Amino acid sequence: MKPAPFEYFAPTSVEETCALLAHYSDDAKILAGGQSLVPLLALRLAQPAVLIDINPVRELDYIQASDAGLSIGARTRHRTLERSPVVREQFPLLSAAVEWVGHPQIRNRGTVGGSLVHADPAAELPALALALDATFTVVDSSGSRRTLKSDEFFVSFLTTALDTGELLREVSFPALPVGSGWSFMEVARRHGDFALVGVAATVTLDNARTCTGAHIALFGVGETTVRSRSTEQALIGQKPDEQVIAVAASEVVNDIHPLSDIHATAAYRKYVARNLVEQALTEAVQRAR
Amino acid sequence: MASKKQLIELTVNGVRREGLAEPRKTLADFLRDDLELTGTHLGCEHGVCGACTVMVNGEAVRSCLMFAVQANGQEIITIEGIATGGKLHPVQEAFWECHGMQCGFCTPGFVMSVYAFLTENPDPKEEEIRPALSGNICRCTGYQNIVNAVRLAAEKMREASAAPVPASIME
Amino acid sequence: MAVSGSVIGNYVGASVKRVEDPRFLTGQGRYVDDLKFPNMAHAAFLRSPYSHARITVDASEARALPGVVAVFTAADLVGVVNPIQIDASLPGAKSLPHTALTSDKVRFVGDPIAMVVADSRYIAEDAIDLIQVDFDPLPPVPSLDVALDPASAPLYEEVGDNIAYHDTFTYGDIDGAFSAADRVLTETFRQHRYINVPMETRGGVATYDTSTGELTYYAATQSHNAMRFFLGAQLNLPGHRIRVIAPDIGGAFGLKFGVYREDILVAAAAMQTGRSVKWIEDRRENLTAGGHAREDTLTLEAAVKNDGTILGLKVRMILDAGAYQVTPLNPALFTTIVRLVLPGPYRFLSYAFDATVVTTNKAPYVAYRGPWAVETWVREGLADIIARELGLDPVEVRRKNILTKEEQPYKNAVGLTIERISARETLERAVELADIPRFREEQKRLRADGRVVGFGLATFIEPAPGGADYMAMLGGAKEPAIVKIEPTGHVTAYTAQVPHGQSHETTLAQIVATELGVPFEHVKVVHGDTQMGPFSLFGTGGSRAATMASGAALFATREVKKQVLQIAGAMLEASPDDLEIVNSTISVSGVPQKAIPLAQIAMLVYLAPTNLPPGSPTELVAMYAYDGGEGGWAQATHCCWVEIDPRSGKVEITRYLVVEDCGTMINPAVVEGQVCGGTAQGIGGVLYEHAIYDENGQFLTSTFMDYLVPTAMEIPPIEIDHLETPAISPVNFRGVGEGGAICAPPAIINAISDALGVKITEQPLTPTRILELMGAISVEK
Repeated sequence: MKPAPFEYFAPTSVEETCALLAHYSDDAKILAGGQSLVPLLALRLAQPAVLIDINPVRELDYIQASDAGLSIGARTRHRTLERSPVVREQFPLLSAAVEWVGHPQIRNRGTVGGSLVHADPAAELPALALALDATFTVVDSSGSRRTLKSDEFFVSFLTTALDTGELLREVSFPALPVGSGWSFMEVARRHGDFALVGVAATVTLDNARTCTGAHIALFGVGETTVRSRSTEQALIGQKPDEQVIAVAASEVVNDIHPLSDIHATAAYRKYVARNLVEQALTEAVQRAR
Repeated sequence: MASKKQLIELTVNGVRREGLAEPRKTLADFLRDDLELTGTHLGCEHGVCGACTVMVNGEAVRSCLMFAVQANGQEIITIEGIATGGKLHPVQEAFWECHGMQCGFCTPGFVMSVYAFLTENPDPKEEEIRPALSGNICRCTGYQNIVNAVRLAAEKMREASAAPVPASIME
Repeated sequence: MAVSGSVIGNYVGASVKRVEDPRFLTGQGRYVDDLKFPNMAHAAFLRSPYSHARITVDASEARALPGVVAVFTAADLVGVVNPIQIDASLPGAKSLPHTALTSDKVRFVGDPIAMVVADSRYIAEDAIDLIQVDFDPLPPVPSLDVALDPASAPLYEEVGDNIAYHDTFTYGDIDGAFSAADRVLTETFRQHRYINVPMETRGGVATYDTSTGELTYYAATQSHNAMRFFLGAQLNLPGHRIRVIAPDIGGAFGLKFGVYREDILVAAAAMQTGRSVKWIEDRRENLTAGGHAREDTLTLEAAVKNDGTILGLKVRMILDAGAYQVTPLNPALFTTIVRLVLPGPYRFLSYAFDATVVTTNKAPYVAYRGPWAVETWVREGLADIIARELGLDPVEVRRKNILTKEEQPYKNAVGLTIERISARETLERAVELADIPRFREEQKRLRADGRVVGFGLATFIEPAPGGADYMAMLGGAKEPAIVKIEPTGHVTAYTAQVPHGQSHETTLAQIVATELGVPFEHVKVVHGDTQMGPFSLFGTGGSRAATMASGAALFATREVKKQVLQIAGAMLEASPDDLEIVNSTISVSGVPQKAIPLAQIAMLVYLAPTNLPPGSPTELVAMYAYDGGEGGWAQATHCCWVEIDPRSGKVEITRYLVVEDCGTMINPAVVEGQVCGGTAQGIGGVLYEHAIYDENGQFLTSTFMDYLVPTAMEIPPIEIDHLETPAISPVNFRGVGEGGAICAPPAIINAISDALGVKITEQPLTPTRILELMGAISVEK
């Protein structure tokens, strides 16, 4: 299984990358970690004429933490995220989730940006972006930037809102409000596989233990990762006890349109989504302080 | 139709090597064909089985998912570089003593993954061992003796803390 | 658990460290893809994306691509490669003649249409993309059910339908058994299709000497002799002008026994182009076209008494053989073995068997680690169903039916003599270790908490190699070995085995060293080259080696030892009967000062023969062809405990126990490794692995993303307890390679059935299916 021929460039800066994108446009694909792209090339399911390898673009490899939140350069490896003490401390949801991404060898090369732009609906990071209200900073071939919110970024199956010639620079996660708890759960056929169904959830409670905010993102349940607004609405303004959580979780089927494939049926995914959301909410509420 | 070959210069098992390859040639194929280091094996060529695992700049990676041109200027360690001075590394010894292989085809990939794992985590908890192995597939052993080998290797490496380390890692 | 060495002298029974390992550990193994020859070219195949279609091919653009040496279609090989027609002498079996490359039609997704030979595999694949094929689709035959329909489009027009074999057999008094029954239970078991998946795919390197007309084929093959024989027939090459060499092989599990169309084609490519040609199947090819296994449906009618005794069994078996027959085994043969082995250790004597093999638009059916395994599943599944229906303890049903020691030797339903089996004993020992009553208490408690837990077991025997009559039924082939003492007193043992994970380089050396009385390190085992070593068509497979190859090596060693003792006796002025060899020294028993080193004897024989008495051998070598002696069966009972998460349908195996008896263990670590590996494949088959076709015959599981092989996270620790039927002859070793894969599936399925409280007669049991069986979700059509 050998890839078809391509021209190869290895820019060392964002500027250089953008120039290449401007020149080659539709004919080019960005090569980051390669853990998703290279298998497609090997199977000849993708045959780009040009590969732009951004691994040497070190300026996109960073984790910046502040009181306001976390900014991660697109070329930051999953492993860097996994090993980062500041992420573990400030964003335990991210640390917990990144351990589910494939296997150690995949995390050594795979990048945060790559995973987000690949936008596999059964992948972990896109769901995290929704659960944490991420902002995406994108740069176009002329160098000008724009930002996208998480609910704009994932458009359809393996498709984001990036235009041809645009490069993802950075994803930033605002700090969770005080009183927030989190949970991450996934059901997969085997350890490290893409999810059959997964949930990334945050819940915010005020001093009276009333829910003031909730983000419930599901993956593996349709063409893109999706937030269950029905579930969120069923929580906000309530004190989430067992009963409230159960009712809220049952709302999730309104917001997901899972498909059947060889690994699970749609009926399976709906059933498990409901159970998983219930478990995740229970855990998130317990963690909320 | 093919694209122009590029010069690749890299360090493999402490030795400076070079070759010419098209950009689409994988690192795995470059190591096997051009550098004639055939210990790294191809089990799937789509990044699942781990038979092609090598170290790139100290990290275990799937060499079938990298292109040789990406390894230009990098430091690679393959299975051929794990034993030093004719002496097996504790990981290799442990696999041998624990009957951790049968057909041997997945073994280089496992040894590299275990080597990387124990270098980072010299005293692993029992529940950390199987997840560390989950990126490599074996069809012969049922994994039992491989898990035993990891435990024994950790013990050996802790005991002989002066265990020889491949030269390039020391820089 | 470190593997120990042993006292010099008796290596049998010791977990000696393997001699294979150093080269594997350091990357010095030489597998087919590691071989390189000057000016070597690479082959790749254009394979059909359609399941059933007529085709016309235009390879002109591909031929013009720089770097392409040749492109072959079927038309180019007429007269070079003979049409393929495998043996169909089994009554009721048909042969399905075909060509190595497809001529006018394709019959499955993956069917090889053209072969490209190029300077690199990369260029070969580029050329494949340039070959133009016109496909005129035909109605698909995507399943066993469609194949049985006489109106289905025949894959082979000359056959007329999709039935490739049918025959019926009756034993005992079926009518009597069924009229005496208290109950008749009818069940249909559907065994799904899955794949051997060795870590090394298929492949070979062919080199052809144009000046001598000699072909050398380096192949990942389980039988170098079979490969040589059949390549010669297909390529019109005289037998002495072919050499086959099996280098290190990265696993096979039955897949690499066949002589494939690709093998024939790659050899032909070397002959036609004059260059050496390498072909390595990639994983997508391997999963799509390498061959699939196990897909059978069996309907059982059981005549039973209320106490669980099985009086008689009617079986209807249908095997889905896919689109082609793989040289040399007609898939009908697998139904024969299922028929013969299905009674297993059970007593019933009335038995009817109706066997059908169908052709479908799928990859060819190949042997996979205990290819008859379905018989253990349906019998052990049936035993549990009988227990459930009649309100009996599953263990009691086994006790009612499994032969006791006192009954043996016992002529079973198909006329095979069952003797010296310990299936019953493995069951009792397993029951003892399992403490089932305690589990039932715990199960009650956990169920009250909403948890879903279960226990299941299965007992089986396997012909490893089978009794003397079974071996005779399958052709009675002897297994040869040659043992030679070198001029330096070291030993070379030549086997016809082709190890690919079975540790023969170590185990056979253990036997030879022990038998001769030399250090283990002084013995080298040579295998895999048709130019040297003895002939056997079988090679390695079928759990024969432990008995057959070990026996051959043992008796050949005894012969050569006699030669040594004869000479030593003359030199020491003692009777050979009074001599012993210990640590390479021949001495008079009890008189250590009267001694001669083996090396000295060897040197005299080879270099100074005039010093020896007249009539002394001029070489120290012996060949022995072993008939298996009394043969024998291996047996085990597998126990499985599961917990199922009702929220996700995921199955966790919380404990797994095997009690096995393979006679004397040559190397306990090797035995346990085989049991673990086989069991892991059984677990994979039940819970994860499935080769899936859709209703158009499109293949859906062609990568490791879709075909799920278990990792270390999915396989539990396996406890193993050993029983050892005592020896009555020098060869008390039974095969153990296949047992794990045979007995694990029913143990796991019975446990899941127990956990859910529902009858289960299907595989695989995916999380979706589990939830459907629990009634938690509705079945999707």
